Amino acid sequence: MFNFRIIFFLLISSSLFSCSRAPISDSYPLAVGDSSRVMQFAPHFGRALYQTSVDVVGNHLSGLLLIKRMPDSSIRILFTNEMGVSYFDFEFSKSGLFRVHSILKKMNRKAVKKTLRNDFQLLLMNNLAGQAPTLRYHNGHLYHIFKAGKGFNNYITDSLQTQLLEMERTSVKKVVVNAQMLNFRNGIPDSIGISHTGFEFNINLKRIYDEETAE
Amino acid sequence: MANAQYNGYSAMVNDAAFKSNFSIATQKVSTIKSDFTQEKELSLLADKISSKGKFWFKKNNQVRMEYTSPYQYLMVINKDRVFVKDRQKESKINTRSNKMFQQINRVMIDCMQGTVFSNPDFSTRLFENKSAVLIEMTPLTKGLKEMFSHIILVVEKKDFSVVSIRMNEASGDYTTIRFINKEQNVQLPDNLFSVN
Repeated sequence: MFNFRIIFFLLISSSLFSCSRAPISDSYPLAVGDSSRVMQFAPHFGRALYQTSVDVVGNHLSGLLLIKRMPDSSIRILFTNEMGVSYFDFEFSKSGLFRVHSILKKMNRKAVKKTLRNDFQLLLMNNLAGQAPTLRYHNGHLYHIFKAGKGFNNYITDSLQTQLLEMERTSVKKVVVNAQMLNFRNGIPDSIGISHTGFEFNINLKRIYDEETAE
Repeated sequence: MANAQYNGYSAMVNDAAFKSNFSIATQKVSTIKSDFTQEKELSLLADKISSKGKFWFKKNNQVRMEYTSPYQYLMVINKDRVFVKDRQKESKINTRSNKMFQQINRVMIDCMQGTVFSNPDFSTRLFENKSAVLIEMTPLTKGLKEMFSHIILVVEKKDFSVVSIRMNEASGDYTTIRFINKEQNVQLPDNLFSVN
């Protein structure tokens, strides 16, 4: 059974006790480059449907995640189980404001909503416009470091900025989330992976094509 | 929708006669084999998620739903145990310890077994037209109310078989499962419903 109480506890406590790699250090060399080029990797969701699985400390949950850009350019993210029962419906406005339209009562906890909001915001890259990231080199990779709340969202590319290798969310002291978007087709990733480092909390999305998919 | 009336249907005058006939008819059905289509209508998003698959029912309390397109997903209900297989994992769930699954399980079984009227978790109202009866089920328990505002079951008059199940959510979204190519009382092997 999906034990939400354990999940709430872990979401709250992971930021205090988890052991994960330190974020890119201020001591790493600053890089010079066109920081705006990272926006070429922002996904262009018109409408995409994903078969989704969530693993949290031994609990497994599956369903369908719909990501849809609305006429006002806001993005809606709806998660439902395979039989149609909705888990949540979130909205990210064009300016990045977050709104919960509905959420299953058992999931309706501040820590859960905040974690999911941060995870999706890392992927959507929709609140980065107007921000100038800090660029740093490390291990041959270019880190585009954006301030995000109390932490940072980092977009890691090869040194020539031709490929987005990985995304990560960090606190001041450590990396808390790693994420990848793979195999883009018309600006939409085919696979998405989100992995929390403090405890087992993994989200995997695999795109599926239904009757509503415009290709 | 919590319509006092449904388009094309009028309130049934003789509920008792229908309930009795429905009960008698469904008692004679030991198995059902069917294809199904499922559509989740998202009113605010002006969108729809469609899928289809195969459905099997066997008395007592055994259901197998196999989604085949556009995704693969298998759910087998065998009394109070549920087996689920998605893209990544197989899971066994004891519905006694998972109330949400227990409630959905009961709804599905009641719809097929014709025991909707004895489920204390719902109140019912009946409507009819020339060929079908519409059973409006309103949840009475907190857990079900959170998931559904109503469940609408449409039953064919000619053989009392289920045409569709529509699950309405409070948000205005709804999911409709339609059963097509139905066959009753065909031989179904027990291993279709194995959860081991």
